[in-house]
Amino acid sequence: MIVCENIRKTYPLGHGRKVVLDGINLAIEPGQHVGFLGRNGAGKTTLIKLIGAVEYPTSGKIHRGMSVSWPLGFGGGFQGSLTGYDNARFIARIYGRYFREIREFVEDFSELGRQLSMPVKTYSSGMRARLAFALSLAIEFDCYMIDEVIMVGDQNFQRKCHRELFDKRRDRALIFASHSEDMIREYCDRALVLDRGNGRVFDDIEVALKVYEDL
Amino acid sequence: MRSLAAGWRIQKRVISALMMRELITRFGRENIGFLWMMAEPLLFAVLVGLTWEFMKGPEYHGVDVIAFVVTGYIPLVMFRTTMSRAVRVFTANGGLLYHRQVTLVDLILVRFIIELIGGTMAFIFIGAILIALGIFPIPADLGAMLFGWLLYGLFTLAIAMVMAPLSEVSETVEKFVPVTTYLMVPFSGSFSLTSWLSPNVRTVMLYSPPVTGMELMRYGIWGNQITPYYDIPYALAASLVLILIGLMFCRKIRRVLIVE
Repeated sequence: MIVCENIRKTYPLGHGRKVVLDGINLAIEPGQHVGFLGRNGAGKTTLIKLIGAVEYPTSGKIHRGMSVSWPLGFGGGFQGSLTGYDNARFIARIYGRYFREIREFVEDFSELGRQLSMPVKTYSSGMRARLAFALSLAIEFDCYMIDEVIMVGDQNFQRKCHRELFDKRRDRALIFASHSEDMIREYCDRALVLDRGNGRVFDDIEVALKVYEDL
Repeated sequence: MRSLAAGWRIQKRVISALMMRELITRFGRENIGFLWMMAEPLLFAVLVGLTWEFMKGPEYHGVDVIAFVVTGYIPLVMFRTTMSRAVRVFTANGGLLYHRQVTLVDLILVRFIIELIGGTMAFIFIGAILIALGIFPIPADLGAMLFGWLLYGLFTLAIAMVMAPLSEVSETVEKFVPVTTYLMVPFSGSFSLTSWLSPNVRTVMLYSPPVTGMELMRYGIWGNQITPYYDIPYALAASLVLILIGLMFCRKIRRVLIVE
């Protein structure tokens, strides 16, 4: 279980501080799929970073009772000058896995082929997302955090994502930030709507989407 | 106790993974970075050594000039490169902080270890060449030499631990870092032995922690040809206090660090 208690996050802005999150409370049980809704700049990515301990809250507590993936999105987590394989090796090492155990899965899942021997900085954002997705699935987490539209790529890739994440790993928790109402409706069973630093949790997705539309 | 052991295992894993990664990026498959690390001090030492030799003769206070310059310059290079690589190391490695087992201390430590290894290899390589040419003494006391070198290294790490987090929050500090390197030239004992100085100046010099390491290292090389002055407890304590301060800074800065 992941519990966020009264999370507040501010960033320096000129001489003052900009309040991004102002007292967020949220609990995520194993197996729950929680969607984060909010307009651009509402703090979805910030909250994901805080849950992933990439950044720290200004005040408040986050309790992580399960293993949480690093935020899977378009950018972070990779070293641009290294190849896809080198990055995979690095991530395998720091998460205590053997590269040879995950290599095949990563090759198969990412479908990046020979591109895996090229520096990651030459990848498109979609390709990076594929690599990140493949690696995090190979390493296995209790909770996956997916930031923005990671459902990239062609039909075939989307089908694979669906199979690996929503069929085989049905028991895992999921945090999913998106602007796509369809995806939230399809994949999530609860939603957090972020607006001006405040967050409201809805157990009914349709209600959450209605509130989001009216923002 | 168990969680401490588990934490240590994770940090060992992270540090070795970071080392591999750093080695590939810096000395990667296609460049000769590692060779440069050895060639540059060699070139400098030989040129400065030759200049000194013209000005002051082949021996200076009874030690060979080129060998003396080499033993002063290699540690300085290690200090300088460690500093320049410690500046804004967290911003440069922001992507790694997406993985929460990677800590700020790991990032500094890894860069320092690489520089220490590089410096040691440069030392061995250049020493071997100069010994073969007959202008470098065969070390009289390997233990003292190594201990002095490591003591100097510890001080380098300590300064890096303090400067890295500071450079992240203050542009002034970031710009100030090269200055610390220049300060190291007179205050690290690189190009003078304390026994050449007047007793008063020597007392002041020994307040500078790297001097002890430098003197011990040179004693290990020249043995009784030179008279070393050192204060090991002081040098150790000074470095450890700086490291503690650095750890505190890192902890504080991690909480406000903005990771892209």
